[in-house]
Amino acid sequence: MPLLELRNITAGYDRNIILRGFNLEVEKGEFVSLLGSSGCGKTTTLRLIAGFSEPNEGSIIFGGRDITHVPLHRRNFGFVFQSYALFPHMTVFDNVAFGLKMRKVPKAEMRKRVMDMLALVDLEGFEDRYPREMSGGQRQRVALARAMVIQPDLMLFDEPLSNLDAKLRVRMRVEIRRIQQELGFTAIYVTHDQEECFAISDKVAIMNQGVIEQMDTPANIFNGPKTEFIARFVGFENFFDLKAEGGAWLTDSGAPIRLTQRTEGSAVKACIRPEDVLIGPPDAGFENSVPGEVLVSTFLGRHVQYNVRTAIGEFAVKAEQDHVYSIGAQVSLGLIANKIIPIPQTNC
Amino acid sequence: MKKRGMGRYIFLALIAPGVLFITVFMLIPLFWVILSTFQEGGSFSLNNYISLLDSVYFRQVFGRSVRLSLLSTGLCALLGFPAAYYISRYSRHKGMMMALAIFPMFTSPVIRSFSWMVILGRKGIVNQALVGLGLFARPQSLLYNEFSMTVGFVQLFLPQMILSLLGVMDAIPTDLTEAAGSLGATRLVAFLRIVFPLSVSGLVTGAVLVFTGCMTAYTTPQLLGATDTQVLSTMVYQYAMSLRDWAQASAVAMVMIVVTLAVSTLFNRLSRRINPLAA
Ligand SMILES: Nc1ncnc2c1ncn2[C@@H]1O[C@H](COP(=O)(O)OP(=O)(O)O)[C@@H](O)[C@H]1O
Ligand SMILES: [Mg+2]
Repeated sequence: MPLLELRNITAGYDRNIILRGFNLEVEKGEFVSLLGSSGCGKTTTLRLIAGFSEPNEGSIIFGGRDITHVPLHRRNFGFVFQSYALFPHMTVFDNVAFGLKMRKVPKAEMRKRVMDMLALVDLEGFEDRYPREMSGGQRQRVALARAMVIQPDLMLFDEPLSNLDAKLRVRMRVEIRRIQQELGFTAIYVTHDQEECFAISDKVAIMNQGVIEQMDTPANIFNGPKTEFIARFVGFENFFDLKAEGGAWLTDSGAPIRLTQRTEGSAVKACIRPEDVLIGPPDAGFENSVPGEVLVSTFLGRHVQYNVRTAIGEFAVKAEQDHVYSIGAQVSLGLIANKIIPIPQTNC
Repeated sequence: MKKRGMGRYIFLALIAPGVLFITVFMLIPLFWVILSTFQEGGSFSLNNYISLLDSVYFRQVFGRSVRLSLLSTGLCALLGFPAAYYISRYSRHKGMMMALAIFPMFTSPVIRSFSWMVILGRKGIVNQALVGLGLFARPQSLLYNEFSMTVGFVQLFLPQMILSLLGVMDAIPTDLTEAAGSLGATRLVAFLRIVFPLSVSGLVTGAVLVFTGCMTAYTTPQLLGATDTQVLSTMVYQYAMSLRDWAQASAVAMVMIVVTLAVSTLFNRLSRRINPLAA
């Protein structure tokens, strides 16, 4: 049985429906990321789980209990805000101790737990500072400590690192993952940063237009996107149609393409990443060869990207620098068979 | 460098009219008033103050002034806090609600006092309701006493309190109360521990405005009070206009200024104790 379950949720603001028939399951101890472009409803989802707002329809089940209408202060979930939301008139110590005071934890125990937590987030000696006397990274660690010290049943993160600079972001996400594995809490982590969420999560749920399009391990999503949207999201740029004929897959122009993945149906949309397409002279003799003409060549440092026009659509190709083709050159593309991902047409 | 110098002159030119106006029409006369209260027959004397402090009547008026002003300030805070919080947090029609809250400020205090006379009079709706409900056999005297003066003060200055509180409450992110809630605080506790301390600077501003307003208001105590409920401002008028005793009037005015400053300072001290970061 999953620890948290969102069943058929409909939610939004006023007459503006954001989530429609939304479902999500999270197992105990899992680190799940909600990934999606800005405005797709990630924060809305997280706020529902936290209890900041209630869904119009559907139910939220936690540990087998319906908590849809349980008020937020009785849920025991930790929430880390993008804006940190530290109490500006309280010291770091009082900020972290706030949840324990609410739980009427005895003074001595409270002090010990706050200090332990500050040590865990590497903020020993900062307990008497006020939030405004600290840097962004330190504030976020205070926010983290404040949410975790209550030993929440579930930790909710809403883009906690997006206000930090790139270097600090990488360090903090490693930190969050380390603490999560140390304490073993269940976490839902919202982000729009693909790299961040793939690095940190056990499972990634990719959201699009108010529903989860695919939820799986980072590796499975990276290597086997189930929809064209997901495929584009994880870096597939080349899409082409294939149809089954006499036991083989043919492109629209009738060329045979060998796939290594077993594929059902009579027609699929196939996709491949730019770095998995070979480029060579017309007589290169690649497997799954597609002839074409170079339209654009872009220098990318270690690589060169070519945009190549072919009979089955335009292809982006990322090649090593020593492959030099001028604009208008006739080339041959080789689609590496085990890198071609078929997407069943029903999911497009 | 040159540009800076220019900016300086423009700055001086811009503040000069205001400074000049205040100096000529406020600071110099005030200085004169202060000076005149310490004189009698051309030489230095504290007699104006000694005779005031000696007078039982003055001490009564003084006490009433401070008491009613503090009471009205407290009531304005009590009534203004929930109103301001509601408007800043929950109101969808914020502009509308704010307009309603400050609408009384568009009416003259004289008119507002007259409406209270109608409402609180022997045949007013309050008395009619009290008698009609059988709570009292005969109409009560609700006018021309400290009660009606307090009611008048509160209605007069509540908008100032609400506006001051709204100013600071609007700046408190909703994140903070949500964070408190997720940490286990009920709405009430979140309000008391987060919203209240962060609103204290607005409360102090409002309290100073209301208190000074009550201390210096003239029409409201004059119209809603009686001769046996005089306050300092009506006393100044009486000394100056009826008794033509300008020295005594000035001395009373000085007492008003000192009390107002003292209480404002006190409010500020208190606020710093609740929230060391405020102001
Ligand atoms: N308080 C609000 N009132 C009205 N609409 C809102 C509010 N908050 C968010 N929205 C809308 O809901 C949609 C989803 O928002 P959100 O869940 O914050 O997206 P995300 O966190 O994925 O960027 C957006 O289109 C946004 O404009
Ligand atoms: Mg968001």
